[in-house]
Amino acid sequence: MTARSEGIDDTSLGSRPPTMMTGITAPARPPFHRLLRVETRKLFDTRSAKIMTLVLAGLTVALIAARGVVAGPHPRTLTGTAGVGFGTLLPVLGILTVTGEWSHRTAMTTFALEPRRHRVLAAKCLPPLVTAVAASLFALLVTVPVTVISARVERVPADWNFGPLAVLGWTATNVLLVAMGLAVGMLLLSAPASIVVYLSAPALGTFVGHLGATGELLVRWFDLNTTVGPLAQGDMSGTEAARLAVSVTFWIVAPMTAGFVRAIRKEVN
Amino acid sequence: MIEFSHVSKTYRGVRALDDVSFTVGPGCVAGFLGPNGAGKSTALRILVGLVRPTSGSATVLGRAYADLDAPGARVGTLLDAGALHPGRTGREVLTLGAMTIGLPRARVGEVLDLVGLSGREAGRPVGGYSLGMRQRLGIGHALLGRPEVLILDEPANGLDPQGIHWMRVLLRGLADSGCSVLLSSHLLHEIEQVADRVVLIGGGRILAQGTVTELGRGRSLEETFLELTANADRSAS
Repeated sequence: MTARSEGIDDTSLGSRPPTMMTGITAPARPPFHRLLRVETRKLFDTRSAKIMTLVLAGLTVALIAARGVVAGPHPRTLTGTAGVGFGTLLPVLGILTVTGEWSHRTAMTTFALEPRRHRVLAAKCLPPLVTAVAASLFALLVTVPVTVISARVERVPADWNFGPLAVLGWTATNVLLVAMGLAVGMLLLSAPASIVVYLSAPALGTFVGHLGATGELLVRWFDLNTTVGPLAQGDMSGTEAARLAVSVTFWIVAPMTAGFVRAIRKEVN
Repeated sequence: MIEFSHVSKTYRGVRALDDVSFTVGPGCVAGFLGPNGAGKSTALRILVGLVRPTSGSATVLGRAYADLDAPGARVGTLLDAGALHPGRTGREVLTLGAMTIGLPRARVGEVLDLVGLSGREAGRPVGGYSLGMRQRLGIGHALLGRPEVLILDEPANGLDPQGIHWMRVLLRGLADSGCSVLLSSHLLHEIEQVADRVVLIGGGRILAQGTVTELGRGRSLEETFLELTANADRSAS
């Protein structure tokens, strides 16, 4: 009852309105794990998010099974197929999460409950990244039975040449693409603009790549969709790692930092 | 306790608020009255720390809102009843609020009962809600914690006469238990029905403040309101 004890003049202590509860201690500032729980829940509690999750799960199963029928028992190829769906839909989910508070203006409520905005933003970015890991695991789980069945049906041995490093690299690629979606969303704070930028980035890379030697150099170092290639294969040289680092800085670290600063300073109207 | 101290706000050279000072103490329901565009919403958003004042300061319970230990639990806010994700259900909106503040889940049901939203209505996406239902949901959200201060922007907008009566009884009860209540409205009769004190704002400046009777000075509050806001418009242009 300490929360209400100040600011009440003695004469009014006796009459408490029916809205008040008893037996609850004064709540403190929301701890980070609580914000994380709330933001994770927000990721899946709207109609569109529920539909998108179901579509993503269904699409993953369908893509892997279809590829299994056509391409045979090659798990590396099969999971790669699911990655195509992930590279598009998961980052869009991330974009919708970080821009949603601004497009629906719920930032007003969210930041009124937790004025330390950087904590809310951090809590908002983690769940989509974890979702990318979970989706990758799901795709791997679907891939195993599809590979086994495909090997049985086609009477050929399964090609299990998909080691832990390749699995990790592929998962990390999915996480990085979601991070790119988050970063673009945080910077632009608008879902349509961010989705357009994210989805047209590969086409932009192709276009720049055709602009002669300079263009090719730019793509090799700055196009995230190109530089994650070796990572997704789980086989990376030092130069390739450096290229990945540069493009991650360009597409993820820089826009996310700028986006954090922008969202923290922004006046909420 | 709410305190505005010489708050001014300039947007691209335009003065939205000009030296606004007033206080709302415990036990008081204060009506923030002024025409559309007078600066009411800007003032309330400055109070909640969502907008920075150009100069001056606003405090809640003696501190800047953002510096409060548990602002969600101690201060109830409704800044825009329309600011909701249309795909979320009413119950979900309250659940998220209760989770953030750290309240038991049972509080959501209590609040739904309190604001008169049925279980069926609470289970529907808010995109299909009428303005009146959104207002009830928003007021419920503001009451989730046990607020010592309530800040409500145009809460009566869209409520029917019974709804306004309900709100008056509710706010009176809260104020009687020591709550400081500040609600805004551009409609005079709403303020007359629910507030003890009126802070009249026009063109970003406080034009008058006092009890409904004091401001009326024998005339109707409406005449005072029209006269003062007309003067403010003339001097502003």
